[in-house]
Parts: sequence; structure tokens; C-alpha cells
Amino acid sequence: MINAALYKREWKGNWKLLLIFGAVLTMYISMIISMYDPEVMKTLDSFAKAMPQLMAAVGMNADSGSLLGFMVTYLYGFLLLVFPMVFSILRGNALIARYAERGSLVSLMAAPVKRRTIALTQLAVLVNGIVLLIAYCTIVELVCAWYGYAGEFEVSELLLLNGGLLCLQLFLGSICFLASCLCSDTRSSIALGAGVPTLMYVLQMLANVGGRAEGLKYVTCFTLFDAEGILAGQGSAAAGAAVLLAGAVVLSGLGVLVFDRKDLHI
Amino acid sequence: MSVIKIEHLFRDYGGGKGIFDLSFEVDRGEAFGFLGPNGAGKTTTIRHLMGFLKAQQGTCQIDGLDCWDKRDQIQERLGYIPGEISFFDDMTGTEFLKFMAGYRRIDVGSRQKELLERFEFDPKHKIKKMSKGMKQKLGIVAAFMHNPDILILDEPTSGLDPLMQNRFVELVAEETKRGRTILMSSHMFEEVERTCSRIGMIRSGRMAAVDSAAALRERHLRTYTVTLENETLAGAFADDFGGSRQGRQVTVTARQSLEEIFMNYYGGGTND
Repeated sequence: MINAALYKREWKGNWKLLLIFGAVLTMYISMIISMYDPEVMKTLDSFAKAMPQLMAAVGMNADSGSLLGFMVTYLYGFLLLVFPMVFSILRGNALIARYAERGSLVSLMAAPVKRRTIALTQLAVLVNGIVLLIAYCTIVELVCAWYGYAGEFEVSELLLLNGGLLCLQLFLGSICFLASCLCSDTRSSIALGAGVPTLMYVLQMLANVGGRAEGLKYVTCFTLFDAEGILAGQGSAAAGAAVLLAGAVVLSGLGVLVFDRKDLHI
Repeated sequence: MSVIKIEHLFRDYGGGKGIFDLSFEVDRGEAFGFLGPNGAGKTTTIRHLMGFLKAQQGTCQIDGLDCWDKRDQIQERLGYIPGEISFFDDMTGTEFLKFMAGYRRIDVGSRQKELLERFEFDPKHKIKKMSKGMKQKLGIVAAFMHNPDILILDEPTSGLDPLMQNRFVELVAEETKRGRTILMSSHMFEEVERTCSRIGMIRSGRMAAVDSAAALRERHLRTYTVTLENETLAGAFADDFGGSRQGRQVTVTARQSLEEIFMNYYGGGTND
């Protein structure tokens, strides 16, 4: 199904990027969790009350009572959505489109390896990178929460929440992968692979503000990741995550198919 | 028996570019030269053989297998030097060769070492820092190291100095002797004339002529009979120009080089 030599080579490209993202996320996650303090919360809540639209745009609402609620408000509105998304954009583009543009794809094609195997290998590299990044975030969250506020929430609750986040990130990753398979140069691959997720995030920000813009939530995939709903155990939130995961499978499969059948001018 | 078989291949890029109704065959153990100016369609044809492009019309087969549908099977026994060499810049040559062996799931060992020695090439440097000629050598080693039966070589000597070009010509001659089938594209007449037994000339995506190298030369043999003042002069003339003398008359033959033959086919064209 996948080619071991290629997988190994691509992981060398993953590590550096994962280290950088891991370091930045560690810093932000620990900083934000350490801010969980009734005093500071009051300040933030007062911000949210004073400028509800601005704070809502980045997913921050007033009333974030428990630690987990606090984390949902301040981590899952921006940081944990955007950072793994940027990782997918950077990696997704490099996996196929960049090789096609530079012509080094020739070396991969001029060997008895099916195109499907090549595409699936590159997809596995991306998916494993995303899974590792989310898993790492989960560990950092658990360590920080345990260190400061042991027993504030059940581990299973956080796992459920991050399971939903993983579905969202896999969906975003599959958009980047499909863009990389479709395009023969990095310019269009990035335009599509970065443009679509970013546009959806911006629409999500607008929809959060509410009012007439609220209808925009129906055109962005971020709506399907309902962090509060997952914590509340709502069936609709689980369904949203399932749709994201199914979408990720469909888009990735489409990417593999497109790459298998396209003409390569290399 | 033909190993490479292209029949009525079409690929229209618009504006007169592409290949149109191209057909030719290359037999087992034959070295076929594929000559044509830049933009004539050599690389496009090769991309079809490599399974990079799907034929819009017509068929492309290697060993009876369709070049698009069975591309991974065909690649098992095929060696390829791309016209534009672009490897993974971040690797050293050694790492690249090791990667390619692992990627192909083969053991190369002795053959690779022999090729590196033949081309006096030390692959320890970063590919990014290699000169054109060094990258070309790396491409040659990567294409030959798994002992392929069929070789598709797209302008394989570009960037090589004359000494290394000679080494390459020798390598191709050896491979032909071992029964390998070779398709070599070039716009250099000399290397094709030296290595290939049969030559196809492509122009504007159409095959202008396919014939044996000897026949192509023969067809363009010209004979002149010159009458000189006396037999002494005629004898000296015959000696100097390799002609045959009959009395005061000397018959000399002039062979056109393939380059001149080429110009005959292409002269005045707008393809360059």
C-alpha cells in the first residue's frame, strides 16, 4: 500500500516542521492554561462583555466556567484550529505539487511503484503528521492541566474533544492533499490548498460575530466542529465530526484518484 | 520482435505543437536513435512511453504492455535518463542512489560501483551543489544501476565533456551487445550516428524518416567524376581525395554527414 523508502524520506521533512509547531503550541497551550485563574477570567469576561463581537470572532465568549470550558473558549477558537491547519497547508503542498513543479517527481515515477502507492504514501505522511501533532497537544494539555489543576476534568472528556478536533484537522488536511494532487505547480496548489481553508476560517469568524453574517456558518466546515456540543454530549456534534471524517476520506480518495489518472508533464 | 511499439500516436497541444500520427518500432537488442530539433516532440513521445502521459489517440506499448495501464510493470525492467535532470536537492548523490535502490526495492551493489568508476564520479556532494555534468552522471548511474533490459535515454550526454561522452557511447555499445533495447533521443547527430543502428527523424511531431543509419548515409552518397589535365595530376587527386582513377578521370564520392542529411529534411523549416 505504501512505499517504505519514500515514507522514511518524507518523515525527515515532517520532523523539523513538527518540532517547530510542537514548540510554539507548547508555549501557547501552557500559557493559556496557566491563565486559568478566576481573577484573570473576570478580566477576560469583561473584555468579552465590552467587545462581544471582536472576542466572538476568535471564538471567545463570556461564561467559560470550568477549566475545559475555558480551554474550549481560548484554545479551540483559534490556536488549535489554525496552527495544525498551517501545518497541513505547508506539508500538503510539499508532498506532491512541489515535486511535480521541480521535476523531481520523475525519479519517483520512473520506478516500478504504482502512482496510487506514491499518493497513499504521501497521504499517510500527512495524516500521521496531523495525528501526531494533535496527540502531542493532548499530552501538553493534560500535563498542564494536571500540573496546575489536577482533577478539574475527566481525561475522557478531553480525548473526545480532541477526537473531534482531529476529524476537523484531517478534513482540512485532505483539502490540502487534494489541492496538491490536482495542481502541477506550487502556486496554484497553495492558492487552493491554503485559500479554501483560510477562507472558511474567515467565514467562521464572521459567522461567530452573529447578526446577518450568522448564515455564513452554513458554508464553512468549521461549524461541523462543535466543541461545546461535544463536551455536552450532543448527538449533532458527534454527527458533525463524523461528517468531517467521512469528508476527509472522500477528498483524500479523490486526490489519489486524480493523481493516478492525470497527465504529468515532467 | 519489437519491444517498443508506437502506433498512430496523437497528442495535440494546439498551435501546431504536439505529436501527430507518430508510429515506429524498436526491436529487441536494437539501439534506435530519435533525432529531432528542439520542440519537435521527442520528449512528449518519451513521456508517453514512460506512462507520464495518456495517449489521446493511438497506442504505445512496451513488450506488449500498454504504457499507460501497465506503467508500473514496465518500469521493473526499464532504465530512464530524463531530459531535464532534477533530483531531490536536499540529498547527497550517495543518499539519492541509496534512496532509489530502497525505493525500487533492489540491491545494486557492484554494478553501481562499476558505473561510478567508469564515469569517475564521486557522489558524496549535495545534489544542489552539483554541476550540470555531475547531475547528468548521477542520472546515468541511477538509470543503469538496476541492469534494465530497456533503456530510454532523453538527450543523455548533455552537459558531459567529450571524454565522458565517449565513455557513455562505449557504455551504450556494451549494453547493445548484451541485447538491451535502447531508445536514445538527441539533437546531436554524431552521438546517434556512433551509437545507433537505426534512426528516426522527427519534425513538428511527425516522423520525417526512419531508416538504418547506414541506409540514411548511403542515400545521401554523392558521386562526382572529375577530368584532370594529365594522369599524374589525376593520380595525385585520387590519392588525396580517396577516389578511383580511370585515365585522366577520377571518381570521388562525398558522404553527407548525418547533420547535412538532417538539414536536408529540416532545412528552411520553422521548427527551431
